Amino acid sequence: MSKRKAKDAHLPIGECISQVHQILRKRFCHQQLPVKPEGVEAQHKHLAELLKRTAVHGESNSVLIVGPRGAGKTMLLKSVLRELSQETEVQKNLLQVHLNGLLQTDDRIALKEITRQLQLENVVGDKVFGSFAENLTFLLDALKKGDRSSSRPVLFVLDEFDLFAQHKNQTLLYNLFDVSQSAQAPVAVVGLTCRLDVLELLEKRVKSRFSHRQMHLLSKLTFPQYLERIRDQLSLPDDFPDGKFAQEWNAGVTTLCEDKSAEEVLQRYFNSSTDFRSLHTLLMLCLSRVSVARPSITPADLLDASRFCLADANANMLHGLSILELCLIIAMKHLNDVYEGEPFNLQMVHNEFKKFLQRKSNSMYNFEQPVIMKAFEHLQQLELIQPADGASDKTQREFQLMRLMLDHSQIMEAMQKYPQCPTDVKQWATSAFA
Amino acid sequence: RMKYFTRLRVKRIYEWRGAPIGFNRKLKTSEYGSLSIRVEGFPQTTVIRAGQHILIEGDDDDNPYVARVLRLFADGRGAQKKAVVQWFVRVSEVPPSKLKLLGRSPHPQEVFFYEGRSCEDEVNAESVLRPVQVTNAAQLHSKTHMLTLTKRLNEKNYLLFSQMNLLDGQLSSDEDEEEEEFVPSRKELQSSDEEEEEDEELAAKKSRRSSSSHTKQKTRTPKKTPRKVSVSPVLVQLELHVPKFPAAGQATRSDPSCSSFLSAPLRLHVSAVPESLPCREQEFQDIYSFVESKVLDGTGGCMYVSGVPGTGKTATVQEVMRCLQLAAEQDEIPPFVYVQINGMKMTDPHQAYAQILQKLTGQKATADHAAALLEKRFSNPAPRKETTVLLVDELDLLWTRKQNVMYNLFDWPTRRHARLVVLAIANTMDLPERILINRVASRLGLTRMSFQPYSFKQLQQIVTSRLNKLKAFEDDALQLVSRKVAALSGDARRCLDICRRATEICERSAAGLVGMSHVMEALDEMFSSPYVAAIRSTSTQEQLFLRAVIAEFRRLGLEEATFQQVLVQHQALCRVEGLQPVGVSEGLAVCRRLGACRLLLLEPSRLGVLQRLWLNVSQDDVLFALKAD
Repeated sequence: MSKRKAKDAHLPIGECISQVHQILRKRFCHQQLPVKPEGVEAQHKHLAELLKRTAVHGESNSVLIVGPRGAGKTMLLKSVLRELSQETEVQKNLLQVHLNGLLQTDDRIALKEITRQLQLENVVGDKVFGSFAENLTFLLDALKKGDRSSSRPVLFVLDEFDLFAQHKNQTLLYNLFDVSQSAQAPVAVVGLTCRLDVLELLEKRVKSRFSHRQMHLLSKLTFPQYLERIRDQLSLPDDFPDGKFAQEWNAGVTTLCEDKSAEEVLQRYFNSSTDFRSLHTLLMLCLSRVSVARPSITPADLLDASRFCLADANANMLHGLSILELCLIIAMKHLNDVYEGEPFNLQMVHNEFKKFLQRKSNSMYNFEQPVIMKAFEHLQQLELIQPADGASDKTQREFQLMRLMLDHSQIMEAMQKYPQCPTDVKQWATSAFA
Repeated sequence: RMKYFTRLRVKRIYEWRGAPIGFNRKLKTSEYGSLSIRVEGFPQTTVIRAGQHILIEGDDDDNPYVARVLRLFADGRGAQKKAVVQWFVRVSEVPPSKLKLLGRSPHPQEVFFYEGRSCEDEVNAESVLRPVQVTNAAQLHSKTHMLTLTKRLNEKNYLLFSQMNLLDGQLSSDEDEEEEEFVPSRKELQSSDEEEEEDEELAAKKSRRSSSSHTKQKTRTPKKTPRKVSVSPVLVQLELHVPKFPAAGQATRSDPSCSSFLSAPLRLHVSAVPESLPCREQEFQDIYSFVESKVLDGTGGCMYVSGVPGTGKTATVQEVMRCLQLAAEQDEIPPFVYVQINGMKMTDPHQAYAQILQKLTGQKATADHAAALLEKRFSNPAPRKETTVLLVDELDLLWTRKQNVMYNLFDWPTRRHARLVVLAIANTMDLPERILINRVASRLGLTRMSFQPYSFKQLQQIVTSRLNKLKAFEDDALQLVSRKVAALSGDARRCLDICRRATEICERSAAGLVGMSHVMEALDEMFSSPYVAAIRSTSTQEQLFLRAVIAEFRRLGLEEATFQQVLVQHQALCRVEGLQPVGVSEGLAVCRRLGACRLLLLEPSRLGVLQRLWLNVSQDDVLFALKAD
């Protein structure tokens, strides 16, 4: 009875909104795993079986999970581990080692991390830590002493697996796979990577020792399913404290998803990328606009957020340039047109600019060489121009060859939006001939 | 022989007891339950029944042949008394070179199950001397088949049966306490084994006979004619290479609920090292005799073993060393030290010195110091020096610019007092010619051995031998796997992995035997190129981008384009498809996503719109994938 009461209780609107923020942020920032695997049930089952065999029966295994970024590789692994950890047998048995190719950039660091995560530092001895060589021998001996029946199984998770293949001689991979293929301590090696050609990276000996089990996470989502998932993501759970608010919110979400303009925005997003990570960024932006005054997400919010997300970063940067810098960029664009993308130097740009001043300009004046130089350097700092390859630092600055890092469409777009751009400059930019 | 003629022969009288219990119309033989033997002049008779162990007259009167009676029958009109027997061989009948592989000193009264097929199993019943008591060592001391009944064995009439388990060296060296723990489960295991086998026998009595190799007590029909028997090395060798259960497989078999499928994947696991290695007999023999001769002579030498990964190089050498160590334990050959290093298991080639020294002497030293100590050890004479056998796995990893590690490894064996045998393993056959400088290659010498990739027949044999009697695969399915792997790499690991995966798939679909479909699925999972599927699952814009790349390549006539060039095509394609044209940032994001999964190859992203890109898949594949949509 009291529960029901609590459910029907009306919370102040501010309280509700902050609750919404809390719940949805958790989802969008990947702090919470979904309750059940979605779209990857088969892989989930396969992986769970595989890891269970290692954890319970002590059978060594190795597997690679391959899928594009944001396909849910880590989520799959985490939800499998969550499921396994509910079984006491697994929980008390399985040791886990998590490595990431971006953090453990060589085998020495990886080895230290393994030893640390297995809590073997104290065993290694009082001399804080031995050399790399000693470490390796120690760890291999430790694994070798084990066997199927008596040792605790160890799960090695190698995130960004492809980066481990760049380590010298692939020593770590060789040894992990070797342990997994010989009667030593039971291990499961799970590699996560987004590279489809990952097997080609492995050295032939390492490759031979890898079991060649691969799981591909490829999304087969259609747009209606995508919309459905968005609705699920935005909806409030049933156990939301204020039942009435939740109902209203969920109804709002449903209308949002059915709205034509919102659908267009989402369709564009879906066309660009089917992964959920970029979608979460979008939804996060919408969510931040939700406040007591605007207690729901409107299609306009979605549109704004998508505009923000899809905005061209470089074109935005052009808005903040001075007129002189903009003129230099236009001069470079013309040079690019004339010389078909050949690199240019400051002097050439300056000449081009001077030609414009002589012929058409009525709003612009010539600047001193040092001023032009300063502007040029500023553009370089913004990385709108970059030194061409092979350009040595020894050449004088005004003759150093540079390349423009902008596409013409970006320049034209910026010209449109540039505040109070003189018309002659605009004309100069759009004219085909300088 | 002289003894034979000088000794007074007693005359024995053989009589059937009771009426015949069966009559075979075809062969005109009548079967009897028992036979009585009476020595002339003595009142007492001995009775022989089927199932009893007997002694049969042979060349050596002190050591008559041992056998077990399977059947007793009378030929024709009862003129000739015959017996079908199962032969056993005595320790003395086993050639010493094979006996040392047993891994322990056999009791003089110990007999082994004989499985060769070249001996007649039908003997004249009148050559039977007397019954004998044979105790199965396996039942008493399950784990090692070791005999502990020394007291009873001192009586002449007791023999001890143990399985010919010659390659089972590891088990026999285990501690007693541990074995006691294992006894109950093992008994259970054995009984369940036998039940299983009996069932199978009923089902397929005939076809099983020739193929069964595991149950030695049950296998029948070895042939052995008493008068001219000598167990030649060839016979025993046959027996040696009969595969047994991998140790890991046995553990699960104690699980009473275990179905054939629970254990099949375990038997197929690469880690489940079988006790013998099928298809590598010749290599085994060659390496064995090489090392054995060096150890016996007290000289040194090098041998280079090459072969692609997964062809059993390391496994064979380790097997050889295990057998030699057992031989040394039994004083068949002088004792030696065995040290094993692996180029992949060290951080730096020079660590090899430190590792060798530590394994030889237990001493810890820096690489330089260790090199000096080893140098001293191998160049100076020392009293009572033992031969050192050094296995260097993954030799190519020990390569350094000056090659001094390799130089030393191959130079030491040539020293007069070194007594060092080096077995070097690597993948490439021509490694000495390719990367070794002359003085190193010369010292390595010409004793080479190359392990050929397994042929499909061999792979088939490997899988069957691991599965043992377990029928888990349809013949076609197994053949498909082995042919596929043989065509690809000849890598036994790969073959076993595929089979293991196939059994898992089969288990999931709850089918009886692993059939073609399961194998195909496993092969598909492991070998099919993921690119086409990956292209199909990419988003619309990503697919358009790929199309734009191809369009741009065609326009340029090159297989390379900059992002800027492709973007123009991409935007045009967007307009054709009625989509809003992508901006530069969005286009770059699409491009990078394709680059991350390596459908495209990209230059570093700091080059922005100027970065060049290449396709990592063939254009045809891309078009095929996109068309099928």
